[in-house]
Order: sequence, then C-alpha cells, then structure tokens
Amino acid sequence: MLSVTGRVIPPAHRAYDAALLLAFIGSALLFLVPQFFFIRQSLLANIAPGIVGDTMSLDNYRTIIADSFYLGVFLRTIVLSAVSVAFGLLLAFPTAYLLARIGSRLVRWLIVLLLISSFVSVVVKVLGLTLLLGTDGPVVRVLRALSLGFWDVRLLHNDASVAIGLVQYTLPLMVMILFGVIQNVPASLEEAAIVHGASDWRAFRRVLLPMLWPGTLAAALISFNMNMGAFTSAVLLGGGRVLTVPIMIQRKIILETDYPNAAALSLLLTLTVILVNIAALKLRPHAVMSARGG
Amino acid sequence: MSSVSLERLRKRYRDVDVVSDVDLHIAEGELVVLLGPSGCGKTTTLRMIAGLVQPTAGHVRIGGEAVDHLPPRSRNIGMVFQDYALFPNMPVRENIAFGLEERWVAQERVGPRVDAMLALIRMQAFAGRYPAELSGGQQQRVALARALAYEPRVLLMDEPLGALDQRLREDMQREVARIQKSLAITTVFVTHDQQEAMVLADRIVVMNAGRIEQVGTPEQLYAAPQSLFIADFVGRTNRMPGEARECSNGVVRVMLRNGCEISAKAAGAVRAGDAVVCTIRPEKLRIGPVEGHRGNTLPVTMRRRSFLGSSVDLAVDDAVGAEMLVRLAASAAEVPASGDHVLAVFSLDDCLCFRSPAA
Repeated sequence: MLSVTGRVIPPAHRAYDAALLLAFIGSALLFLVPQFFFIRQSLLANIAPGIVGDTMSLDNYRTIIADSFYLGVFLRTIVLSAVSVAFGLLLAFPTAYLLARIGSRLVRWLIVLLLISSFVSVVVKVLGLTLLLGTDGPVVRVLRALSLGFWDVRLLHNDASVAIGLVQYTLPLMVMILFGVIQNVPASLEEAAIVHGASDWRAFRRVLLPMLWPGTLAAALISFNMNMGAFTSAVLLGGGRVLTVPIMIQRKIILETDYPNAAALSLLLTLTVILVNIAALKLRPHAVMSARGG
Repeated sequence: MSSVSLERLRKRYRDVDVVSDVDLHIAEGELVVLLGPSGCGKTTTLRMIAGLVQPTAGHVRIGGEAVDHLPPRSRNIGMVFQDYALFPNMPVRENIAFGLEERWVAQERVGPRVDAMLALIRMQAFAGRYPAELSGGQQQRVALARALAYEPRVLLMDEPLGALDQRLREDMQREVARIQKSLAITTVFVTHDQQEAMVLADRIVVMNAGRIEQVGTPEQLYAAPQSLFIADFVGRTNRMPGEARECSNGVVRVMLRNGCEISAKAAGAVRAGDAVVCTIRPEKLRIGPVEGHRGNTLPVTMRRRSFLGSSVDLAVDDAVGAEMLVRLAASAAEVPASGDHVLAVFSLDDCLCFRSPAA
C-alpha cells in the first residue's frame, strides 16, 4: 500500500493511521451531528411549550434581530465582556510581568496557587464574591466607614458586580498566557532599551509591548470568548437584574420551554463571537518578528 | 570619553559574595578586559558599572563622579550584550537611532548620525533590514553601532563574540579593536577567552571567585603571572608538581615528582619544604641535547605530534607518565618519532615556581 508520496507504508503504520482516522471521524460526528440537529431546531417554529412545528424558516432569527430588546441584551453582553477583558488585562499584566521577571523560587509556588485557584468550581468562587460584595459584606462596610457613611454603594446585583465576576473568571488564564509570552521576551531586550536611554515606560511601549502584542491579543480574545458564554457569574452576581445572552437562553429553555428560539439565540451568540474574533484578528501585525534573529 | 573607577566594589547574593573587594581604575580611552572563568564575577562587575545591578557596598565613578544613585539611562553609557539584544520590531536604522531618539536628540541630527554609524560598521546597505534577516556577525555590528551612536562616555561589552564561530570571531575582534581605537572610547570588555583578551586588551584584569587576581598588560600577565591560577589561565603552560629543597635569592631548587631536580624562579614567597608547582610555557621548551645548555633537563618520552601550521606541538610524557606539551617552530630541525626517549630542556629564567594552593 502506497502513501501519497509513493512510499511504501509498513503494516504497523497502516493500523496506526486507521485508528487515528476512526478517532477523528468519531469526534467529528459527535460534534457535527448534534450541531446539525441544533441548527435544524432553530429553523422550526415553536407552537406550544415543548411542541415544535414541522416547517423550516428563518422566522425565529428575524424575530430576534428585529427586536430591539434582544439587540440590547446582545449589546450589554458584548460591552460587559469587553470591559471585563480590559480590566482583566490591566490586572494581569503587572502580575504576569512580576512573575516572569522575578527569578526567586517563590514564583513557582505562586504559579501553583494560581493554577489551583482556577480548578476551583466557578460556582464556589462566585458565591465567595457574593459574600464579599454583599450589603453587609466587608467591602461595603469598609467603604462606608472610610467615607463616614457617604459611600453607601450597592456592589451586588448590578452590571458592576457581573463585570467583577467575569474578571475573576478569566484572570488566572490571562495571567498564565501573559506570563508565558513575557518569559519569551529576553530580559536583555529591556535592559538594552534602558541602558540606551529609555525610561521604563518608553522601554515598555517601544520594545516590550510590540513583542507582546500577538500574545496579548490572544489572551484578550480567549477571555472575551469565555466571558460571552459565561452563565454562572452573570446569573448569580446579576441577581436577575442583569440580562446577558446566556441567561436569556437559559430562560427560554427552563421558563418558556422554547427550544427553537433558544437554539436560534445560541447560534446568533456563536456568530457574534466569531465575527468579533475575525475583526480583532485584523489587528494582528503581519511583520515576522522573532526574539532571536539570525 | 571618561575614566571609570571602581572602589571597594562588593555584591552579595544571599550569603555569597559574587564580587568582593574590587578596586580598579580605568583610564580614558583604555580598553580593559575583565577575564576569568564562568562565575568569577566579571559580568556582575560590568553590570554594576552599567547600573543594572546595585552594589552591596563600594562605589562606581564615571569621569570622577559617583554614579551609584543614577539609573542606567542617565549614566551615558553604551552596552553590547551577549545575545546582541537588537529590537526585533525595528529595522537596523531604527535600532541604531534608538539611543538618540530616547535622549531627545534633534530630529535633523539623528539621520546623519545614523548614517555615520552605518558607515563605521560598513553596513550602509543594510539600513532597512530587520534583525531577523541578519547573520550573527552583522547583528553584533549593529549592536555596536547602537551602543556608540549617542557617543557615550564608556562602552561596555558583555562577551559579545561568544556566539560566533572561530573565524568570524577573530575578524570581529579586529573590527572591535579598530573601532575602539579610532573613537578612543573607554571600553570594558568581558570574556572568558584568554586569547580574545590578549588580542584586544590594553590591560587585562583577571578575576577568580569574585576577586581580582592580577591586573596587567598581556605581556606582563604572560611573562610574570603572580599566581598559579593566572599562569594556567592566561596562555598554556605545563605544570610540574614537586617539593622545594632550598631557596635563595629568588631561585628555588625543586625536587619534582617525576624524580628530576630543577631550578626555577620563585613567584612569591617559597620556603624549603613547601609543596610547589613549577610552570614552563610550551614554547620555552626545546628538545635536546642542546649545545652549551646549562639549564634544566627532563627526560621525556615522545607520544604524539600535531602540526599547527606555524608551530608543531609535541605531546610528551615525563618519567612518571604525566603529559607535557612542547611547542616548536614549524621549521624546527628534527621532530622525534613516537616512542623516542629524548630530553626536554629549558632555562631557569623561563620557569616559575609557585607554592601549591591549599588542597
């Protein structure tokens, strides 16, 4: 039996290739078949709770897109995700930088702690935030005390609390990605910039940032995508007052038993995320840069 | 151009002194090489001059003024790193212009200055290329141009030729020396390669375990090393362990481990009864018997010869089987055949006797 290049493939290889092919087909089917039914479902009409019509049309989609309410929910979801990414990057950058540049053994333990924290269930973490941000929680009490009663803020069940929850959700991942990216930039590059006259900020802007940009973009997009699909943080911290697309989808299924519209909303969410990613990837520079040349 | 002074410089990490008691004065326009094995503290010392590392104690002065409190960018220095550290996101021209732009040099002066630097390193055609498109030697030259563009007071070089192959390395050594001399810029060069140090240095500072062992011109260090470490490290030498029998007027009579008795010049204080090591450079040995020779002789057995072009190296074994190296001019009369028993002869003046370092 010959391969594409005309070389003879030994029997052991053939069995290996066949097994890999089987695994690939299995995975592809497991992914594509439900998607197919899912897409088909979104094209059907919802006649009564749990009962679905036979004719296929784009009516569900038309209804959603035409409705300003739904558009508002989509916009809110995008804005919350984007803002959380921005704050997450602001927090992740200095953390990742310190971890990457400080050479002590403590760093290894800190990274282990970081990884462990990301394995804790998101429900547990969000409930912890709920306690922290609650009306009688420590944060509010401290703010009240510091401002002598003037700052009686509500930190729970609003957009701000959802944003905080989303940051908490993706921060460990952002730190890990940025840590890896910064480690790949030799410290000698920063030293060269500093020795030859640049201030720390200028060295960051002119030398470090351009080299970190592709990695930062990746971290931002991954976090954005995770935020767009985040359900637990939004529902627990939003307290029913903050509506994001994942929450809407859940309501459609649990409260209204409207599977077709839930499917349509899900697909529109996926489409939105894909479009944002494609647009953002246009920001990626095309110049080939390696840290070590020659 | 400025002088550089290091006063009682010390750097301590945890409970180890990686640099201790470094006192050095480098004159304006001098090229000083910090030479030593890995871990001897030479790079740390260089980085303290640059300001990238804070000394635990002591002072660094550039041009007479203490710079300890100044950050690197305010010290007016240029530096070439071991991995060149060229900015990969900028073309050659921008890399060279970096120091000028960061120090707010007027726009119309930057261009001509960059052109002058490109001419100095003979890379005018490469101005628009990116570092990834350059070879190692080319990157190193750009790094040098970048360091010199702002006309710094001092040039620091941290093993910049380490990544180059032998031939290119020798070419670059000449290039660096040429540029340094033409600009007469005070330069501190770090390397572990003693050959490189000999080629480049006005003076060599040999460091070992954080301390300065000896400072001198290449000739001084080669002919008059003050310790066994330096005799061994700077240039090749043969080591002959033994015991001092008597010592007078700076001449030591030594009974070598291989059973021969020789006379040597005492390097430092040597007393009768001391365990000593005598050194003789390979090129100071000749194969005897030699007319009128009244110096030292060692019976040896010829093993291997290596033809090196301008010289011939003979690997010989002494009476107890320890290997020694004899270097003869390529035009030397006869080279003994392997297995021959011959005499290695050398004069008292070329042989140094050191007290054995504590075991």
